Amino acid sequence: MSDPVVAIEGLTIDYIVGAGRFRAVSDVSLEVERGHVVGIVGETGCGKSTLAQAIPRLLPEPPATIGGGRILFEGIDLVKVPLWKMPGIRGTGINMIFQEPLNSLNPAFRIYDQVAEAVHIRNVREGGKGAVVRAEPGPFDYSKRPNPSAGDAWRGKVVPGGAVAEEIHRKQVDRQVGGSAEDLKKEVLDYLRLVRINDPETILNLYPHELSGGMRQRIMIAMALSEKPSLLIADEPTSALDVTIQAQVLTLMKELIEEVNTSILFISHDLGVIAETADELGVMYAGKLVEFGPIAEIFQSPRHPYTKALLRAAPTRYKTDGPLLSIAGNVPNLSRPPPGCRFHPRCPIARPVCREEPGPPLAAIPGSSENHRSACHFATEVPQIP
Amino acid sequence: MGRSPTDLAIFIGKRLLQLIPVLLGIIILTFVFTHLSVANCSIWYPHAGKTTLALCQAQFSKPIWVQFWTYFVNLLHGNWGASVTGVPVYPAIAAGVPATLELVIASLFLMIVIGIPLGVMAAQTAGRWGDHLVRIFYLTGWATPTYLGAVIAAIFLAPYFGLPSHGEYTYTPPPFHQWTHMSVVDALLAGNLPWTWDAFKHLILPASVLAFINMGIATRMTRSSMLEVLPLDYVKSARMKGLSEFWVMYKHALRNSLITTTTVLGVTAGGLLAGTVVIEEVFGWPGIGAYAYTAIGGGGAAPNFDGAVAVVAVFAVGVVIANLIADILYGVLDPRVEWR
Repeated sequence: MSDPVVAIEGLTIDYIVGAGRFRAVSDVSLEVERGHVVGIVGETGCGKSTLAQAIPRLLPEPPATIGGGRILFEGIDLVKVPLWKMPGIRGTGINMIFQEPLNSLNPAFRIYDQVAEAVHIRNVREGGKGAVVRAEPGPFDYSKRPNPSAGDAWRGKVVPGGAVAEEIHRKQVDRQVGGSAEDLKKEVLDYLRLVRINDPETILNLYPHELSGGMRQRIMIAMALSEKPSLLIADEPTSALDVTIQAQVLTLMKELIEEVNTSILFISHDLGVIAETADELGVMYAGKLVEFGPIAEIFQSPRHPYTKALLRAAPTRYKTDGPLLSIAGNVPNLSRPPPGCRFHPRCPIARPVCREEPGPPLAAIPGSSENHRSACHFATEVPQIP
Repeated sequence: MGRSPTDLAIFIGKRLLQLIPVLLGIIILTFVFTHLSVANCSIWYPHAGKTTLALCQAQFSKPIWVQFWTYFVNLLHGNWGASVTGVPVYPAIAAGVPATLELVIASLFLMIVIGIPLGVMAAQTAGRWGDHLVRIFYLTGWATPTYLGAVIAAIFLAPYFGLPSHGEYTYTPPPFHQWTHMSVVDALLAGNLPWTWDAFKHLILPASVLAFINMGIATRMTRSSMLEVLPLDYVKSARMKGLSEFWVMYKHALRNSLITTTTVLGVTAGGLLAGTVVIEEVFGWPGIGAYAYTAIGGGGAAPNFDGAVAVVAVFAVGVVIANLIADILYGVLDPRVEWR
């Protein structure tokens, strides 16, 4: 079952600020399987947003520099792709939903223009210029994925062979029959309906500032999905919304994950949100991935002291008395990380070896499934922590 | 309050009403200061004959408010006054304003098509070589005194590039009727292409000098507002759509930074008008700038006080209208702004 959409290998990202050098992400390796949802959790400042933005090379370089490692997206090492070629990968290949829906739509353009732009880019890349008339099965069934992979687009062979080529050819013929402006509008409306917007005709002509935060996030989701990306990075998509809207958007995303066959990298600091959506979970601490594995397994039996502490600290609705638990100590300063394992100052089972030797790489744990990996010398002892 | 055409009309109407007190103040100030300075007609007009001197004495010996009242009543009747020797002001202004307008529009055009992309480039390469080169370029212009730039262009650049450096056309008057008094437009209206080309060549140098000297503000404002916009999420989301860097910059980012740049350009338009006084004189451009220069006695001409007052009033109207246009564009560019 190893068909990763993106495989990150030993990725290291530094921020160079003045004379200081902050290692925001150090030696992170993870894979997102096709059609899977991978969640990344961690405290503020643990490097999860940096990781998310590094994949499509969205970080401003400088101050950020990729210190090492590879980002293999459909077989292409994105670290080696020159920046001016990245637009060919973004959009239809990797797409992103941002944290702040209030800022992520351009305030100067109407909703229609912004969504249509995304649809248009995908249409152009699919081979037909302008809008495409869609016969059955409608825009929501991605089972046939007529979208050539972004990797193909980058290598220059835009039109693939076989059934996909036939599909594209059929669309090109259709396009010559239909008028393009109306089709584009129809398609935009379809995507707005897809994200459960009740009155898309009115929404089309509004500006972003005339919409609520939840509406804007739906439009961001519609925009991202309309390009049918192979990988969708959701960088805290619900954190800026209030709780009821958060629930709505989350439900919507869960429904869409089932409808749309896209892999998702879901970044959040909210374990509850991750628990509802993800298949696999990665836990980050101070720039390192400390545990990675199937979500159910991690929730049942975490194999890193930090994950365990994090799970214990998560508020549940059943807990009604006493203070909320917290993890003792502070997040380390990334310009001067503690020697040895980065979690040892706060770790209940730390031993001398944790202070002296750097934390071990992610490794399979005896007694767990092979996908479950932890970066702790004493992963087998974690279940005994009270 | 809103964004409908009615709101826009009300907005423009209000602003034009505000123009009335502004104009009144400007006219009173310039009239009083110019006319108070006439202590003795024989000093101001040393070469005047007896008749002129007598006319001058008759006009300026009256109390200042009487003089102003006479002038003002005449102005309300459409009579813009005349020089002491009796040359009326209005025809000169009517011919000069379009010529100056042509020059200002041409240089504004240059400022926009060169200055704004330079600002975008500076923002893209902030802190690196491109940024420094652009800064050197616009600071050179900014630090150049208008007269110096104009003289250097007229003496050195004109022969080097084979461009004419005097007047609107090589031969005057042109063989067609000057409907608008804008040199290029008139030649085009007459369908006379050789003369259009000639007029265009005459326009290049003065417009470029005026633009070069005032370009800094457009470049600088574009750079700083682009730097404000570039880290925002919607620029990132535009990138994530798969748009190329060019479209991200010039469609998504520039559209939002233009909001500040436009406001500043409106203010700069006033500076351009002031710049025309020297530029037009050096390049022999028959606009109101050159007229203003002679009206205040430049080049040894006899001072023409009514003319000076009229030019200042026209400049004031120009500045107010330029700002009004900038404010209207501000609302067009930013959908969150309401006209009020």
